[in-house]
Amino acid sequence: MANFILPFLIIALFVYAAIKRIKIYDSFIEGIKDALKLVYSVFPYLAAIFIMVNLFRISGLGAFVTRILEKPLSLIGIPPELTELIILRPFSGNGSLLLLEDIYKAHSPDSYIARAASVVVGSSDTAFYIAAVYFAESKIIKLRYAIPAALLANVVGFITACLLCRYM
Amino acid sequence: MNALFFLIIVISLGILTVVAPDSVLSIMIDGGKSALDLSLKMIAIYSVWLAVLKLVEKTELDKKITSLFEPIVSFLYKDENKKAKAYITMNMTANLLGMGSAATPLGIKAINTMNRDLDKDTATPNMIMFFVLNATSLQLIPATVIALRAAAGSAAPADILIPNIITSVVSALSGFAFVKIISYLKRKRKTKAS
Repeated sequence: MANFILPFLIIALFVYAAIKRIKIYDSFIEGIKDALKLVYSVFPYLAAIFIMVNLFRISGLGAFVTRILEKPLSLIGIPPELTELIILRPFSGNGSLLLLEDIYKAHSPDSYIARAASVVVGSSDTAFYIAAVYFAESKIIKLRYAIPAALLANVVGFITACLLCRYM
Repeated sequence: MNALFFLIIVISLGILTVVAPDSVLSIMIDGGKSALDLSLKMIAIYSVWLAVLKLVEKTELDKKITSLFEPIVSFLYKDENKKAKAYITMNMTANLLGMGSAATPLGIKAINTMNRDLDKDTATPNMIMFFVLNATSLQLIPATVIALRAAAGSAAPADILIPNIITSVVSALSGFAFVKIISYLKRKRKTKAS
């Protein structure tokens, strides 16, 4: 059912635009030009973050930070198996999906750890990446309390996820 | 961000200089390469979505979509302009439908068109609210995660749905509360100072 909705909506949009006598081909090209401009302005931020994340992980600094944070995080109800995932989550979407697959392999996908990890990933997003991408084109550089507020809200979500998956 | 960037890079490079100095350059270039790979994918995806969006705008359908969530959008984003509200609504709709790839370009457009402060390079409380709500994920059905669980052989891959929805709502509400509390405290301090 859902498979039909998207093509149907796009057909409806094209027909509606034709009825409204809009130059469809020209507008389409305009939109694609926007896409190029957008990625052009986002790329420097992406490259900087990815270079940083790569150094962070491969140097072993990531593993070190994970070990330091295991204790305090387990005090607020987050099991040590999830520490690495929680640290990586705000930086890299693909990275956390790969880590999630590793967790599925190490524990069964229906275990508590795997389910809690699934909800951690499913209910949060990559704060640093979104910050870089969303604000890139607007040239807004002073984000004030945006990132701390987002990370704090994510932590509340992580605690909730670990708690809920014990009972549900 | 500048301080964090400095710290992570310098400490990582320090460790690598001791452990594996030869690999430093290739690690950094690999980072750039992943950014390039992702950018190419983004160009492909955004070409489709922004072209469709252009048609939505030209047909003025965006104004109709805006009226869908008008009360909640006006409540969350006080005194925002109409154009920005349209992008915000479309970003919300795409997120709720699980079309993350369409939500991102709409989010960027929303930030671009939102009202600015006198300091043009500073994020307004509305922008911060919008960013925080996106960072706590408005997506109700985690399609990718469910697919990964199914692929890993889970007996009931979708049984995380209810905890996931509750968690999403809890983290969105706490994000909303944090932004409101922090901006209230900042305003109070400002009026005290002046």
